[in-house]
Amino acid sequence: MIEPFFFGPCHQPQVLAIYHPPTGGTGQVLTVICPPLLNEYMRTHPALRELAVALAGKGQHVLRFDYRGTGDSFGELGEVVISDWVEDVGLAVREGRELSGSKMVRLLGVRAGALLACRWAGTSPDVERLVLWDPVPDGSGYLQAMRRLQQAIVEPGLSLSDAERRETLHEYAGYRLSERMVEEFHLLDPSVYSNVPNSKLHVVSTSSEAGFPVPGEGRDLVPFACNWETDIESLLTPRPVLERLISACLTRS
Amino acid sequence: MEEPLQLGEGGRLFGILTSPSIPRSNAQDLPVFVFLSAGLLHRVGPYRLYVRLARELAQMGFSLLRVDLAGRGDSPPRPGLTNQQSVAADFAEILVVLESRLGRLPLVLAGLCSGADNAIRLTLKEPRVVGMVLLDPICFLDRGFRLRVVVARYTNPARHIAWLKRRFKALTRPSGKTQEDDTSVDPLTFRNYPTREQLRAAFESIREREGQVLSIFTSYALGYYNKKGQLGRVLGVNGYQQFCTELFWPHVDHTYRLELHRRRLIEAIKTWAGDYIRPRMSGTD
Repeated sequence: MIEPFFFGPCHQPQVLAIYHPPTGGTGQVLTVICPPLLNEYMRTHPALRELAVALAGKGQHVLRFDYRGTGDSFGELGEVVISDWVEDVGLAVREGRELSGSKMVRLLGVRAGALLACRWAGTSPDVERLVLWDPVPDGSGYLQAMRRLQQAIVEPGLSLSDAERRETLHEYAGYRLSERMVEEFHLLDPSVYSNVPNSKLHVVSTSSEAGFPVPGEGRDLVPFACNWETDIESLLTPRPVLERLISACLTRS
Repeated sequence: MEEPLQLGEGGRLFGILTSPSIPRSNAQDLPVFVFLSAGLLHRVGPYRLYVRLARELAQMGFSLLRVDLAGRGDSPPRPGLTNQQSVAADFAEILVVLESRLGRLPLVLAGLCSGADNAIRLTLKEPRVVGMVLLDPICFLDRGFRLRVVVARYTNPARHIAWLKRRFKALTRPSGKTQEDDTSVDPLTFRNYPTREQLRAAFESIREREGQVLSIFTSYALGYYNKKGQLGRVLGVNGYQQFCTELFWPHVDHTYRLELHRRRLIEAIKTWAGDYIRPRMSGTD
């Protein structure tokens, strides 16, 4: 049975969280899932729910949440900035610890969610392990990929006026970001990952071509076509990837 | 204000109840909007459309429920039931919780794609439903449909070129089955269309209940709908124009991928919903 609730900064409940209490095992570990952004949030929602249920079944406390301006959380995407999302990661960890009483915290970050998880973990010694699913190497490259998806949306014979076409230039994979958000994305460089102790990182990658900027970390390669940069809407049910993620989340650093 | 709800037997269904942001003196007369899952997508809707609609309508004074039907989002599936049986069971539980929370209020059912299909079937069975918002519902061909297809192909080169591009892309796609083919799912593929009789009966029901219907067709529907007013002609329901609004947006895609299209949709629904608040001026489209 899940436990949904809202939490937020300054006691303003703005962020939707769904807590999965352990349904077996000892319940000593809390895993907080940092979802991806934009279209990838929708594509992975069923998979991340399945992952949470599986981890809870293996005895972990699991917390899923939507960053402010995304999913069921409050706010509009154009009103929030990267620092809000990094703060949301920290608040989610705090809420999860209070709920579970667990002292051992692990983060699972997906795509750009990996960047946010590592940005927060780089400033907090409390995280025992970070498991990253296809982490994006940096913010700039991620935005470029999302712009390519946007061009694919606009290209196929859409009847748009010049003004409307200009308007779409501010969108990324169908989502409009503020100028400040774009600027902050560009500041998320590979140092976000290198600021986290290498021993804590574990990467599960679905493509050997995806370059992860930090050498020497634990890495699993699971050949699987997630098509992050070509497919905009299909839901992912990547069973072999989920199995590897579960295994990584259950392992101690 | 928004509140996560776990409803039904054992709290198996998950939804978000949005309360009106402004009090209205006629709140007890206003219908409650229920957003039904679009395909396999969860309660947020494509590109967060359901969330934004809920919040905008709440600012007008409406209450809304966005719900994960069984097997979507955070609501587990109901084993052993067909999809239609499962949706009917979900709806029965939705009615119970809405009545306990808000009283016995009239309802508007809203949905995109399979959400529209479900809204049509549920309207038939529940007398409290006084409105439907149907985004790309089913329609049936009228007499002029095929001729209009031919004319459009030769008088609208841009659309024809786009169609050729899509055909070329489909033909040149590698035919070998990959792992991806087995494990990624188009969330809006699966539909179980209402029959013509069900569609007509649902509209008749709304007319008898003195309600109203908004139907919007996008480029997704071009295979079966290509002229504004086609739905009304096919249904032949008396007084259709007095209680139905039918819009045709052939340059908009099914999931409203562009922000400007989402804004247009939100405004159209708000304008339509405003008729529940102010006296009806005219029901024509």
